[in-house]
Amino acid sequence: MCGEHGNNCFVHVDSGLPPVGLKCVVNGEEIQACVDPTMTLLNFLRNELKLFGTKEGCGEGECGACTIIMNGETVNSCIILAVEADGAEILTVEGLAKDGELSILQQEFIKMDALQCGFCTPGMLMSARALLDRNPNPSEEEIKEALAGNFCRCTGYIPIIDAVKSAAKREREELK
Amino acid sequence: MLSKFDYYKPKSIKEALDYLDNNDETRILAGGTDLMILLRRNAITCKHILDIKAIPEIQRFDYKNGEGLYIGAGVNVNQIVDSEIIEEKYPALHQAAASLASYQLRNRATLVGNICNASPGGDLPPVLLVYDAEVHIIGPEGEKMVNIKDFFLGVKKTILKDNEIVLGVLLPDVEEGDNSVYLKQSRLKGHDLATVGVAARRNNENKISLAIAAVAPIPLKLTELEDVINEKGLSNDLPDWVEGEIKKYISPISDVRSSKEYRIHISGVLAKRALQTLIEKEVN
Amino acid sequence: MVEKEYRHIGKSYLRKEGQEKVTGQAMYIHDLELPGMLHAKLLHSPHARAKILSIDTSKAKALPGVKAVLVGEDAPYLVGLYMIDKRIIARDEVRYQGEVVAAVAAIDEVTAEKAVSLIEVEYEVLPAVHTIDEALEGKILVHEDINDLDYMKGVFFPQPDSNIASWNTTKKGDIEKGFAEADLIVENEFTLPAVAHAPMETHVSVAQADPYSNKLKVWSSSQSPFTLRDMLAKAFNIPRKDIEVVIPYIGGGFGGKAGIHIEPLVAVLSKAAKGRPVKLKMTREEEFNQLPTRAGMRGRIKTGVKKNGKITAFQAYYDWDSGAYADYGVNVGKTAVYSGGGGYEIENAEIHSRTLYTNKVFSTAYRGFGHLETHWSVERQMDIIAQKLGMDPFELRMKNILKPGSRTLSGEVIYQHTGSPSECLEAVAKEIGWTGYQTKEERLEQFKTGKVRGKGIALLQKAPAMPTNTSTGAIMQMDEDGGVKLMIGAVDMGQGVNTAMAQIAAEELDIPVEKVEVSWEINSDKHPYDWNTVASKYTLMGGNAVKKAAQDMLRQMKEVAAQVFRAHIEELAHKDGYIYHIKHPDKKIPYNKLSRGYVFENGNAIGGPLISHGVYTASGLTNLDPETGEGLPALAWTFGAHGVEIEVDVETGEITVLKMASAFDAGKVINKKLVDGQVIGGVLQGIGSAILEGYKFSSDGTLLNPSFTDNKIPTAKDAPLEVVPIYIENEQVDGPYGARGVAEHPMISVPSAVGNALYDATGINFHSLPLSPENVALRIAENK
Repeated sequence: MCGEHGNNCFVHVDSGLPPVGLKCVVNGEEIQACVDPTMTLLNFLRNELKLFGTKEGCGEGECGACTIIMNGETVNSCIILAVEADGAEILTVEGLAKDGELSILQQEFIKMDALQCGFCTPGMLMSARALLDRNPNPSEEEIKEALAGNFCRCTGYIPIIDAVKSAAKREREELK
Repeated sequence: MLSKFDYYKPKSIKEALDYLDNNDETRILAGGTDLMILLRRNAITCKHILDIKAIPEIQRFDYKNGEGLYIGAGVNVNQIVDSEIIEEKYPALHQAAASLASYQLRNRATLVGNICNASPGGDLPPVLLVYDAEVHIIGPEGEKMVNIKDFFLGVKKTILKDNEIVLGVLLPDVEEGDNSVYLKQSRLKGHDLATVGVAARRNNENKISLAIAAVAPIPLKLTELEDVINEKGLSNDLPDWVEGEIKKYISPISDVRSSKEYRIHISGVLAKRALQTLIEKEVN
Repeated sequence: MVEKEYRHIGKSYLRKEGQEKVTGQAMYIHDLELPGMLHAKLLHSPHARAKILSIDTSKAKALPGVKAVLVGEDAPYLVGLYMIDKRIIARDEVRYQGEVVAAVAAIDEVTAEKAVSLIEVEYEVLPAVHTIDEALEGKILVHEDINDLDYMKGVFFPQPDSNIASWNTTKKGDIEKGFAEADLIVENEFTLPAVAHAPMETHVSVAQADPYSNKLKVWSSSQSPFTLRDMLAKAFNIPRKDIEVVIPYIGGGFGGKAGIHIEPLVAVLSKAAKGRPVKLKMTREEEFNQLPTRAGMRGRIKTGVKKNGKITAFQAYYDWDSGAYADYGVNVGKTAVYSGGGGYEIENAEIHSRTLYTNKVFSTAYRGFGHLETHWSVERQMDIIAQKLGMDPFELRMKNILKPGSRTLSGEVIYQHTGSPSECLEAVAKEIGWTGYQTKEERLEQFKTGKVRGKGIALLQKAPAMPTNTSTGAIMQMDEDGGVKLMIGAVDMGQGVNTAMAQIAAEELDIPVEKVEVSWEINSDKHPYDWNTVASKYTLMGGNAVKKAAQDMLRQMKEVAAQVFRAHIEELAHKDGYIYHIKHPDKKIPYNKLSRGYVFENGNAIGGPLISHGVYTASGLTNLDPETGEGLPALAWTFGAHGVEIEVDVETGEITVLKMASAFDAGKVINKKLVDGQVIGGVLQGIGSAILEGYKFSSDGTLLNPSFTDNKIPTAKDAPLEVVPIYIENEQVDGPYGARGVAEHPMISVPSAVGNALYDATGINFHSLPLSPENVALRIAENK
């Protein structure tokens, strides 16, 4: 603990530069930390908060494996500095299930076999989640547009698109 | 990443300018979608990161009748995509923004970042060129507006000095009847850089503007071709004529993304289709 | 024939690990942290071929936090599965741009990266071998020590003082006579570039090597727990019992994680760092540039046909641009000699398949290896022949297609139970409404609209490429609830092997599938042997082993129950979790009462814990005759076909895949949902190869596109609008319930079908992949 930024403060000194304070909410939990200014948000989530669900596929914002929802919108956490998340609300794959029960979206991913190796799945789920939050009744084209930033080498995407469609339908029904 | 930098997030322009003045090797961070990749690849190094996102002025994003559209340096590309006024008044900007990168990248990438990065293949510069946009720059000597066609100097090079910041971009207002289109060819249907991107605009006086990305070290406004076109006047034969003619005004290179031959070919196709769209709209 | 009713086989059970994967709980090596773990980073060669004059690591070693710095001299090991030619770290000479020149282990990645940047290397750049022709010319040798390299003898044939890592041949019938009999001879050349596997998880390994003994523990994102152990033992000359390989979830493989890759390097680093665990996670750039690819290939084909379409002779030269190493690549090349003619009966054939060394990133297995490549050539050639004969390409294929009584290239006889390529081809032709090529007039009419549509069909076949004695085992244990723990040696990387094996175990034991748990995280110390998780072989081999393990468990239960009932074992049967007496079915014992042996009322106990096992070894396979290629290489042939309809923008050259119908003779589908997943995913990978993917090199041998920015894979927007999987079920006699493998096959011949549809649409024959907008548009413009 660095002592400067509160109780749950991590110190990670890679660069020898003074750590920067960071407060954010991750999956509903308030986090206070001091981080090396060069650390990415992805590495902060994984290496410091030990939330390993979010993956790194390329480190360059191309493949979407590291997709999380920050302040309601999807972002590639591999090309964001951790310090930029100061004040942000973050949702990762670990925050999708509530009270020990899988979300409808997660259930539909399983039901439609929308995953194989599973490595792209966390990022894919976050892109789908953000889509349904802003558009509860997306067309096939809109689903493809929302997911195109998430590469999957196993499934051929069609089962994923089907899972998002049926999750959207179930979520809409549940709201009725 | 070999760079070791500290991080500074000023709350005012003055603080930002002071910081730039006093700290060499500073990089300005807005969306970070280019900067972070360059740092990771050690293609660039820096000692300081200046995050401008907390400066209120750069969030400016408005359209004023008679003045035009102002897009601040903090406005991300999806904000542009989602803007109804842009879709209505500056359709090419909407189309170019919607074609740029992936959805999640657009949540971070900014229009100003896209021009400051000065990639020859950037999607947004051709649109700004056909709208004669002005780049709003601030530095120790004060503010200035620079026409977008004077902004680019070469691959990854602009006129921007180390102690200057781009606050935003102004697109002059358009009259009723103004229309535009952006067409892009890429290697796949998913997100990709433009193999070639063409922006075309027809103003309310039926004057055509044409600009093109990825065929030269900088995004090009085809002013000479525009003159010839505007002299000829609009006709149904114009698009086909331009398809052949445009090849005289560009000299692209071959690189990993495309051969020179395809760039020439597709420039003609896209210019033709862009003009078809603009002219057909009139007929209907 | 009455269709047998199964309780679990053929049912679409959901994959067992789904919940872990959608909640972020599934742990990959990517996520593994160990106490005291160090991180490694590598220095790569900037040159395709150069002499290493000197390496100065002193500054790197002096950096605080650095625990080990290694160069070639520190790791003088050669590794490889078939051709023992691969260096762990380059020594004296670099053979491709991207090859490892030095490695660092440090307390964190940042320190390791910094240390790498401090290593100074002096190179003398040498002229390099860039092309297939330069490789064949042999003026420069990629491996000057080729004559001394060790390899699997009798199977591969490296040529002395050359760049030919293996020259495999087929000679069947009389090729001269065949061409003399032909009414028409068609010659063509087809090419395709190297392509990346692009698993979403890059290669990553952790190793801990005891500095005081031979003990070595390796955690790796690998398809090959036991082959990896085997090759580590050979490379380091240590006993296999001292090596433990652990494989948890892996984020995609597709062949690229078969065999041995970064593991020995990490092991050497750990040893040098006094036994601290070392993790090496490859960057995406390294994944493209240092780790292997699918080889580029050139196929030169000459076919003789009669006017009626009957093939009289087939001659092919397949030349594989295998890059700097051929440790696995030679086996890719070998497939061409028994499968490189496609699914047709050819009486007179001659095939030369040459796996060539060049100064490029090296090649390895990639989903359906050798087949997508040769089938690109063969299936395009069939369409071109049909055009020249004025025949429907469907008819031409049917005229020559393998059928019961036909012999394959290697002389194997085809039976009904081998599977039916013609049923597959008929099914896809019907599904896409194939009625032959459109006419010139129809084509011209379409061209006016700017968008042209076309249909194409292509046949495919593949059998597992593996050693003749390939084997596998399964261990089964029953618990006190009557639940079964099944241990196998195959890695479930998403293909669903654990779910399918649970279905097979539950079917045999006649219990609910939920009662079977397949043990995840393969550990070579605990799990039974399996050769490699490759080649679409596991459903057949592992399925049989699991069946046998279940039968062994039933036998054990019956032996004990026979004592309880004072009956003959033959009088006992099993049903729904009970062993019962066939004559007195009310006499029955639930499995759980036998799981730890049976206890009589007075306390006497018999039997013991139920532990069973099953093994399966490929039987009857032979090595191929070195001259003629004759022999029995195929555990099982899986035949299939694709039918595709595409739309082409004639100006931009962009192809849209409207519909893909894909049929496979799977023998028996164990789990349709999982197989559908293989088909839809494989088809899109095939489309990637067809219209998008490929390595590009500069004239000096530098890889120009080592990133997802410029080495794209298909996205959700690139998926076909519709994929229709079709299954034909001619049961495999020695497959479990008649099943045979189908995981790789969906990718094969996808480019061929798209290429054929592109001809139908445009009237132009394309010979080179990818069929990118650029390549298509420029050819159309040329032909205007």
